[in-house]
Amino acid sequence: MRYRTTPWLFLTPFLLAFTAFFIAPVGYAVYLSLFIKKRSGFGPAQNVFGGLENYLRAFQDTAFLQSLGNILLFLAIQVPIMLIVATAMALILDSVKSGSAQKFFRTAFYLPYTVPGVIAGLLWGYLYSKNLSPLNQITGLKTDFLSSSILLFSIGNIVTWTWTGYNMITLYAALQNVPGDIYEAARIDGASNWNLTRYIKLPLLRPALTLTAIFSIIGTMQIFSEPFVLRPLGYVPDNITPNTYLYLAVARDGNFGYGAALAIIMALFTLIFSSFFLRNVRGETA
Amino acid sequence: MKKVMLSLSALSISTLLLAGSALAADPAFPKAPSGNITLEVWSWVPGLDKTVASFEKAYPNIKIKILNLGGGPATYTKLQTAIKAGAGAPDVAQVEYGFLPAFADTGGLADLSKYGAGDYEEYFVPWTWGQVSPDGKAVYAIPQDTGPFAMVYRNDILKKYGVAVPKTWDEYAKAAATVKTKSKGTVKFGNFYSTFAPWFMALAWADGGQFFKRDGDGWIQNLNNASAKKVLNYWNGMIRRGEVGTLAGFSADYWNAAGAGKLATNMEAAWGPGGYAGSLGTKSAGMWRAAPLPQWTAGGSIKSGNWGGSSNVVTTQSKNPQAATLFALWLNLSSTAITADWNNGGLFPASDAGLALPALAVTSKNPSKFFGGQNISAVYAQASRGVNVNFEWAPWFPFVNDNYTKQIDRMLKGQLTPDQALDAWQAESLAYAKQNGFTVK
Repeated sequence: MRYRTTPWLFLTPFLLAFTAFFIAPVGYAVYLSLFIKKRSGFGPAQNVFGGLENYLRAFQDTAFLQSLGNILLFLAIQVPIMLIVATAMALILDSVKSGSAQKFFRTAFYLPYTVPGVIAGLLWGYLYSKNLSPLNQITGLKTDFLSSSILLFSIGNIVTWTWTGYNMITLYAALQNVPGDIYEAARIDGASNWNLTRYIKLPLLRPALTLTAIFSIIGTMQIFSEPFVLRPLGYVPDNITPNTYLYLAVARDGNFGYGAALAIIMALFTLIFSSFFLRNVRGETA
Repeated sequence: MKKVMLSLSALSISTLLLAGSALAADPAFPKAPSGNITLEVWSWVPGLDKTVASFEKAYPNIKIKILNLGGGPATYTKLQTAIKAGAGAPDVAQVEYGFLPAFADTGGLADLSKYGAGDYEEYFVPWTWGQVSPDGKAVYAIPQDTGPFAMVYRNDILKKYGVAVPKTWDEYAKAAATVKTKSKGTVKFGNFYSTFAPWFMALAWADGGQFFKRDGDGWIQNLNNASAKKVLNYWNGMIRRGEVGTLAGFSADYWNAAGAGKLATNMEAAWGPGGYAGSLGTKSAGMWRAAPLPQWTAGGSIKSGNWGGSSNVVTTQSKNPQAATLFALWLNLSSTAITADWNNGGLFPASDAGLALPALAVTSKNPSKFFGGQNISAVYAQASRGVNVNFEWAPWFPFVNDNYTKQIDRMLKGQLTPDQALDAWQAESLAYAKQNGFTVK
């Protein structure tokens, strides 16, 4: 008996906090998502039980589906670019002998990650403005980076700028963990630099790459602050990302039920997408 | 002939001013209830704590507790939650006109006509009363500050290109064409704020455009009204011809253009000039002037619209609604409070007599100082008295506000004509309102 209670006693502090700060809010969100707003005349809106109506609405809501499409496009383009660049930078840093230049670049690449997302958004908002953008001033072009037709890519650029260094550090750390004798053995066998990279470093990077890819997928699903900060500078569609769309449903329209339903759909979507990715990657290694 | 008309209109302005001043700036306020009372006030007016000290002196048994929760949305979220929760709401709160219907719909606002507020209608600029009492019976708030529309312009640029200050939209368009030709397109005559629906609505408002209306148990929404179409087609023409820019308001790009002499005029609310003085600093200081909003027909009285401004509501949770109403009236009708709010926060008063207070006419301080020492408050006071009184808002305005930006973006890209953009605005906003349970047609 004692053996059974003791572990639970030790677990209690964690379980209490986990229930209060994790299970309860999620449970409340599920509960909220079952209510819809009803009005009559000028009276205040009533929250009435609507079952799965909010979920049905979400799957018929073209604006919301479009936001999912946007984020898939973003995933397909931005994440691979970012991870390829991060890998390349990690490999370069790894192959260069430790020195002050190496240290400098390692820090410089990482630096954007330390800038808070909102500040980065404001900074880029300035760099993107049509008449003040240094890029436009140098090239003499008048590109409107904030135009709604290319805004998703401009945001992709901000995200790449912020997160490439972070992913690079993760990959670089993984490379540092490779025991030196593996390289030594390969060199004795006559492996060239390219072969060393292709057949030893990259395969060994695989777990770290999987990790960064999963984090990038989850991070992409949560993109919010960049488009939100750019809103005052021009037209940013409500549904540029699912998160801005569900935020506006709650904060602007006061529709807590619909917002909660969208949040739950997004969580499931992320879960399915990440596990799908993980399963495929694992399948290949096995 | 022109001179005669000018002096005639000047005469009518001064009569109007006199008519306004005929009502005292400090009317007899309702009697204060007895006993010790503490009122909680949520407001983001700068320096309000100093203003209320005079109130506490005049009414020693009433203490005021000011909470500044931050402007607009920050306060609204908390107020909405407190009203929904049925506890924790303040006695008095600041709410912008456009958001009043949404709060009135929650049922959390006290009807101030029960506490005698109806007797004070005549002390406010007429249109402001329409904002707080749309049906003319229930009074949901006491008007506080306003944003009537006028034109700001660069005196030096107009002189340089030899154009007179436009009095009509016809003259404005002609001047825009002249400046474009003479400056070889380097100077834009005006700027269309493509992301500010209330800016555009104020221009249509000046022409009598009505976007929302209560009708029986429901609403009528008419975003594609004739005035809106007229105004949007007019501006779109100048945008297409490259005479008018489309920089986002309050952006670095905008202030840069305004300070560097690349922009000749703009339509701004009464609180706008303070922003010019603050954001431009020494750049182009003293070169700006203000003039009445250009009119669609020459010679009539000046008609204007409004952008922004706010009111003070009393919540149904207040235990002292009588004292709260008294405070809201005092805050917006006593010359002490109006003067302090103008000096500390640049609040352009809703009180009719307040428009004539000496503090507003001080030209040695900003914003008038930045405008070359012109008494710009006089221009805006005249504008406020010319604002159409029947303008209403709807509870789903926040959505309408964002959807406008979407349709205008499509128009500026050439995907929609101005008429189509307004029709799409109307259709999508209507669908949204219906989906969210409003009875609207």
